[in-house]
Amino acid sequence: MTQSAFATDVGISYWMWDGNQAPVYRKCADKFEVANPGIKITIKQDGWENYWTTLTTGFVSGTAPDVFVNHISKFPELLANGVMVDLTKGIAADKVDMNAYMPGLAESWNKDGKQWGLPKDWDTISLVYNKKMLADAGLKEEDLRNMTWNPDDGGTFEKVLAKLTVDTNGKHGDQPGFDKSKVAVFGMATNPADGYGQTEWSHFAASAGFKYIDKPWGTKYFYDDPILAKTLTYLRDLALVKGYSVSQEQAGKLNGSAVFAAGKSAIVPDGSWMINSYKDNTPFAFGFAPLPSGPMGRRSMFNGLADSIWTGSKHQAEALKWVEYLGTSECQIVVGKAGVVFPARPEATEVAKATQLSRGIDVSAFTLLATPATTFPFPITDHGSEISSVLKTAVNKVLLNQGDPAKILKTANDEVNAMF
Amino acid sequence: MTFLRRLSPGQILGYSILAIFVFVSLLPLWIAIKLAISLPNDVFRSSTSLVPPAATLGNFKRVLGLPSDVVLASAIASPINFALALRNSLIYTALIVSGQLFFSALAAYAFARMKFPGRDALFVAVLGATMIPSIVLFIPNFILIKDLGWINTFQGMVAPSILMTPFAVFFMRQFFISSPKELEEAAKLDGASPFKIFWTIALPIQKGPIATLAILLSINAWNEFFWPFLTGRDESVRVLAVALSDFLSQTGQGIPDWTGLMSAVVISILPILIMLVVFGRRIVESLQSSGMK
Amino acid sequence: MASQEAGSLASKQRSEHDERRKAMPESVVGYLFVAPALFGFFMFYLVPTFRAFQISLTDWNLLRAPKFIAFANYGTLFADPKFWDSVRLTLGYVAYNIPIQTCLGLLIAVLADRMAKSVLLRAVIIAPYLISNVVAVLIWLLLLDPLLGLTNGWLEFLGLSREPFFSSPGQAMLSVAGVSIWRHVGFTALLFYAGLQSVPRNLYEAANLDGASEARMFWTITLPLLRPVLAFVLVTSVIGSFQVFDVIAVGTQGGPADSTRVILWYIYENAFKFNKMGYASAISMVLFSFLIVVTLIQMRALRAGHSDLD
Repeated sequence: MTQSAFATDVGISYWMWDGNQAPVYRKCADKFEVANPGIKITIKQDGWENYWTTLTTGFVSGTAPDVFVNHISKFPELLANGVMVDLTKGIAADKVDMNAYMPGLAESWNKDGKQWGLPKDWDTISLVYNKKMLADAGLKEEDLRNMTWNPDDGGTFEKVLAKLTVDTNGKHGDQPGFDKSKVAVFGMATNPADGYGQTEWSHFAASAGFKYIDKPWGTKYFYDDPILAKTLTYLRDLALVKGYSVSQEQAGKLNGSAVFAAGKSAIVPDGSWMINSYKDNTPFAFGFAPLPSGPMGRRSMFNGLADSIWTGSKHQAEALKWVEYLGTSECQIVVGKAGVVFPARPEATEVAKATQLSRGIDVSAFTLLATPATTFPFPITDHGSEISSVLKTAVNKVLLNQGDPAKILKTANDEVNAMF
Repeated sequence: MTFLRRLSPGQILGYSILAIFVFVSLLPLWIAIKLAISLPNDVFRSSTSLVPPAATLGNFKRVLGLPSDVVLASAIASPINFALALRNSLIYTALIVSGQLFFSALAAYAFARMKFPGRDALFVAVLGATMIPSIVLFIPNFILIKDLGWINTFQGMVAPSILMTPFAVFFMRQFFISSPKELEEAAKLDGASPFKIFWTIALPIQKGPIATLAILLSINAWNEFFWPFLTGRDESVRVLAVALSDFLSQTGQGIPDWTGLMSAVVISILPILIMLVVFGRRIVESLQSSGMK
Repeated sequence: MASQEAGSLASKQRSEHDERRKAMPESVVGYLFVAPALFGFFMFYLVPTFRAFQISLTDWNLLRAPKFIAFANYGTLFADPKFWDSVRLTLGYVAYNIPIQTCLGLLIAVLADRMAKSVLLRAVIIAPYLISNVVAVLIWLLLLDPLLGLTNGWLEFLGLSREPFFSSPGQAMLSVAGVSIWRHVGFTALLFYAGLQSVPRNLYEAANLDGASEARMFWTITLPLLRPVLAFVLVTSVIGSFQVFDVIAVGTQGGPADSTRVILWYIYENAFKFNKMGYASAISMVLFSFLIVVTLIQMRALRAGHSDLD
């Protein structure tokens, strides 16, 4: 698979799941190969669904890549299975500056003083909105930026959604005669919710004070917290009782982005990794606005990917060089220039922002929230996959109105905590 | 078309059913074509209409690696070589179907016509093979093929199913059983060897079923995904089904490239359609000249 | 085989005494014929199955050494409510899938045979099967989308209410069955069609002369003679139905709210998502045993080994 110009060339394989990023990292690889003759990088990309299966069978059959992109939700399992190389000594010896990244990123990949991945990029959530629909409802961007929310009456957020929702007779949600069973355009669309709600409900719950777990790598989940039940009930009724947002039953596999692109909703909360997808598939002017402020302020889930090395790699020294290069300003700026993701280094993020601006897209709504005070991490504990499955079912049931939210959540929470 | 003149209510019902069936069968295929010729921006906007607002061949060009006026910002990393994948699918299908037909017919004939100890028990075992959830077999088989060094080779991809295909064995056995034995018995009295009887008499009678089986096996092989996915990821052996999946997954966690995907799908169906038309005529011919009477 | 050819030539000149010494006993020939298939069966079905059984007796996550725990997995699964839910869902699926698919397939085959024998029709019949399961589900997801789908657009146009299809726990399983039926009816119909061709035409002609109606001819001539093919279709589609997976893997991933978590999906989840290979293998073994029993019953009930022509 690796074309070597010289018999002594070392081949390093690098796997990732985001197709948008592969050509960009190829550019980094070309630069790296010039600076490091004798090492050749091959990049392979496999979609999210297949990625982890292929990686696991690779670990088993000995065909796993030397370096691979890692996701925080898999971190505990991979650590427990001993398939990642401890990078601590290597990066200390090469004097890699771990403070050069956005705060919180390097730490999330560190356990008990050992570093298991080098930060690669980060993402947050913001609201994607249809510019024309906003104007038609008599609203301005400031109105979106200044939205407040609370789980009791929905704050100004709900009022805005009401204005943006239109039924088939042209009546807006805040006008008399509005028929919630005949909605033509929803105020807000959403993806089918999962157990962690990264784009669907995490920001609402967190801004109301919800905490997922006691601490990173903890052993106690708090899904029985009444705040969560209240938040999910609010979201459920926003759709089923008020009709301002798409209900779980209407949230098909095509995701909120498709509903938005079809002009059937005015707003969609989504992640920064989707920026280019929106650009390609949305035939009208759209923008990004920051999430509404809840009782505790604005909160977005903050996630950071990292590059890790496989313990079975036959060229760990070269793999480390590549991983370190991926974390350098030079490479991350190349990535930033492509505007595909927000690289982990702040200066590279600025470059990404500028690129998007040159394409006519203002992504400051995402960067605004990328501060330690306004973000919370993806919850990581052992048994991640099983827990995620149980929680997803519970959240689905609540949003589908299949029972008393408090009861459903408590049962799930007990089941999850019993795994420890 | 003489039947148009004397349509009874029963016949009207019959034709209506057929018409509805044809419509429902073809609608999704039409949707695939419609998406293949749509512009990416129109995919969701016009999702409830049967005809795309604007048609373009740009998606086909894009997918085959030719210059195209349809360009996406989320440009694809390593363009998939669909022409090569097409070639690989043809090789894979031809290899596996010819092997499956031969070995399965051979075994089926023995199960149907010959007596040997343990015959029925073995047949039940063969049937039993279909009941093993395939997921269970994948990992052990994968490890075996890896140990043989056959990962990313055609032999690795065809190995598990070329010698034994329970479905085909079962199928042919039922047909051998339901055909009359006279011709074979006559040949036996004439002193012909068992293989000769099989090859020159029993098999030709089953031209129709064999053609049908060949079609079904070809379609199965053409669409086979999980095993080639595990054992044939390299471009030199990657078949269309895997290439399609890789293509779909290339857009990562974003919106799938529907127009590109459907173009690739349309391209992948063409060879099968052609084969169907060719084989289809042969079914009719062989049935009309069947030696059954 | 060369020796057999020589033997057959020689046998033509044999005396009565030599006739008792045939070229090769039928039992040996029989084994020779099935040998390649049996080898394949042994290497790629039998051995892996034993291996899978072995795995079911362990606690193994693919990456670390397996730990022998005897039958503990089986104990866990019998007490696991999720396992029983998956059994219930799978049985329900099979119960609506098989009768509809088989009857529709038979109906279409008969209609095609008696009313419109054309190559074009047969091509249309098999057309859905040409598309892989993965692509078929994707297209149907688009068609049946609650907000953007064509189907709901038409339902609304006809004054009916929109349906959530895949997104509602109440309809998800039915939608999965629908896609599966869409894809497989043509396949089933083609199988029946092939079987119909082996029904001697003179029987129909004779019945016609006797004044029998189409329906009567179907029940008294066609159906009985189709028995081996019917048996084949039923057995293979029941087995296939119990192993429904692709549509769920791409379309619903066991949801919404676990309403489509069929057995094979639960096995897959345990094996590849939760990394509990031992547990997954144990469930597969249970499924396997169940399928054997079901098939034996079916084969016996349908007397699949004989044709009514005998």
